[in-house]
Amino acid sequence: MAVWTQVVGTATLFAGSPLLWGLTQKVKARLQGRRGSPVWQMYWVIVKNWRKETTVPEHSSWVFRIAPSVSMAALSTGLAMVPAGGAPPSGWPHDLLVVFFLLALERFWVGLAGMDSAGTFGGLGASRVTTLGTGIEPALLAAFGVLWQVSGHTAIAPLAQGLSDVPGGGLPWVMAASSFGLVLLAELGRLPVDNPDTHLELTMIHEATILEASGRLLSLWQWAMTLKLTLLLSLGWAILGPPWGSNPWVNLGLRCGELAATAVVLGWVESRFTKLRYLQLPTYTAVAAGVGVLALFLVAGGFGV
Amino acid sequence: MPTAWVHFNAQRKAAGQELLALTADRSGTLRATWLDPSDGRQTWMDWGVSGGRFPSLSVVLPEVAWDEREIHDLFGYLPEGHPDLRPLVRTPRWPTTFLPLGGSRRPPLWREVEPDLPALQVQGEGVTIMKVGPTHAGIIESGHFVFSLIGENILHLDVHLFQNHRGLETLLEGETLDAVPRVVGRTCAADTVSHQTNWALAVEHLSDFTAPPALTRQRVVLLEAERVLSHLNDLAQIPAGVGFQVAHQRALSIKEYWQRCLKALFGHRFLFDTVRPGWAKATSGEALVEAVRGLRQRFGPWRRLVEGHVGFQDRMRGVGVTSLSQVIRLGAQGVAARAAGKPFDARQMLPWYGEFEVKPVTGVEGDVKARFMVRLEELEESLRILEAAAPRLPASPPRPAYFALPPDPSGRVVTFTESPHGLNVHDVTLESGRVVRYHIRAATFRNWPLLAQAVGGNAVADFPLINKSFELCYSCTDR
Repeated sequence: MAVWTQVVGTATLFAGSPLLWGLTQKVKARLQGRRGSPVWQMYWVIVKNWRKETTVPEHSSWVFRIAPSVSMAALSTGLAMVPAGGAPPSGWPHDLLVVFFLLALERFWVGLAGMDSAGTFGGLGASRVTTLGTGIEPALLAAFGVLWQVSGHTAIAPLAQGLSDVPGGGLPWVMAASSFGLVLLAELGRLPVDNPDTHLELTMIHEATILEASGRLLSLWQWAMTLKLTLLLSLGWAILGPPWGSNPWVNLGLRCGELAATAVVLGWVESRFTKLRYLQLPTYTAVAAGVGVLALFLVAGGFGV
Repeated sequence: MPTAWVHFNAQRKAAGQELLALTADRSGTLRATWLDPSDGRQTWMDWGVSGGRFPSLSVVLPEVAWDEREIHDLFGYLPEGHPDLRPLVRTPRWPTTFLPLGGSRRPPLWREVEPDLPALQVQGEGVTIMKVGPTHAGIIESGHFVFSLIGENILHLDVHLFQNHRGLETLLEGETLDAVPRVVGRTCAADTVSHQTNWALAVEHLSDFTAPPALTRQRVVLLEAERVLSHLNDLAQIPAGVGFQVAHQRALSIKEYWQRCLKALFGHRFLFDTVRPGWAKATSGEALVEAVRGLRQRFGPWRRLVEGHVGFQDRMRGVGVTSLSQVIRLGAQGVAARAAGKPFDARQMLPWYGEFEVKPVTGVEGDVKARFMVRLEELEESLRILEAAAPRLPASPPRPAYFALPPDPSGRVVTFTESPHGLNVHDVTLESGRVVRYHIRAATFRNWPLLAQAVGGNAVADFPLINKSFELCYSCTDR
């Protein structure tokens, strides 16, 4: 496999992320009976904010200024690790656990930025993001653990290959996929966990941490948000989706189609739910983690392997 | 030994009466006017301020705590024994000598100081103070909220409203009868018909004019059309508080439909300038029935959507609970009071509504859900009244006015209507055709302190939901 297939694939997904975001927004708008802004809107927003003046809170430090860049870097690296057009070239790092820790790194910096914004909402948001993280991470780890047990690999490509060799997927696979699906909504800050579109500061989780950001910092945060969406969705398809075909370009095209379809479904799912009570979120993540851990026990007991 | 003033007011409250208005005038006289809900009779008592002081009622009658603070700020009369005399309306930018209703009417030079007022905060280990507003992220009015939080829970909320004091009551002093409606009707865009009607009732009462049924029905139609608009808006806002955007946006589109109907029927999307003494904007019964039919077609599916949504219903239950005793103690009005089981609806006190047999809609739980459901039912009730009134509207072209404004009515009268937000009261004093004193006491003025109490103990993330379920008007409060 040529290196540049993966490079082109990663670049496509990187550049297409805001479009994916716009697609979800469009579906939501349509379901609300609105025409909605164009699917390209996120690009204009990112460019608009990039051109604006950047102001930072008086009491913030360098942490606040570099946090969006770190976040961008972590998510871009994660995205580059997910096979985009077939098994990645040999020597290309693509370990699932690394992606997991990159996500944790991103969350850590989101929390830091929130606290460093020196505002009440930033602190509140940071507290909420990290609290939620303590529920998300075990669930994500459990789901990944099941996949590792079933396939015998932690590297994404052989893991996906190993999974597709197990006939019918098996119950543990279904449970791990459910757990991953629940975590996905939480990790992406989507309803019913968080509402990315709200202007109500008091209810915000992720948005509260970047409330003080402006100009280029905000622009980077917004692109990072769309990257996270692409990363998690394409990771999901890479490990849980149908196996690869032989032509990498067809594979890449299929991946884009899969992502677009998921973005549409995501918009639909979001429109069905109201936001859960914040104090009920631990129950939500506990269910996700519980299902994952249960699946892990089943696999450890030799069930479904 | 309680004074006669305290005794009188405490006794009225104990007898289950509603306080219509408590206000002062420039001559140093306080007046409290009460309404007996059993027979609709009003009683009042005057009390002279002596040496710039008067005995405070707030300890025995907590619902007047804000009224007394307002009197203190605007007139400079000191309520003796008031437990919390922090400025309510007054901002540090006003020179200390400036009393909008007590001294010179000329606005002074503002002082160049920070407009911060002392806030009541909880102190202690782990308590966070969170300040929100007065500028908010959404298109809403200006209010500064100081939360004392422990973790995610609200310990105490101190509301600082009155950020945009317009001085309407000062502005109305000395005005002629012709000039009043324009100002009074703009007290608030959500309750404008109610405010206009109160003024019309005052002038008509002082001129011994009784509105004929043709006129009262036109006014009932306007008041109910306004209630439909306001309730549609409030119902639309509640789902937004929990991110239920589908219900939110669809309800807003129904509201837009209704506003277009109002424009077509009455010539104004907010119903400004539709009621004057001896007159009300008329419309044809058929057009009204047509508009209501269109609304029902849109509202029915929406109602099924929200009532059938388990997550939304669950989200509203048990949040922002107010008890009946709290409601009564603070003299709350309107939907907020009825949702907790207080069956008071001022429409039952108005003879105009007799032919439509209005039944007050009440709830039990006093939570967000109860307030939501009371609004749903009241909206349906208003539609029913509109449909019942439509065939009784006069078919002939409307008369310009049912009576000519007398040149010089004099006297004092307290009038009220049930606005979409509750009991809306005007205390009007005229002398030879000019306003001497005009006091506006809108329902939301009584409900803000209740909201502050209702949020205590709830999660701070639920505040927007609770706030939207009250949907209190800032504009009516800060006149």
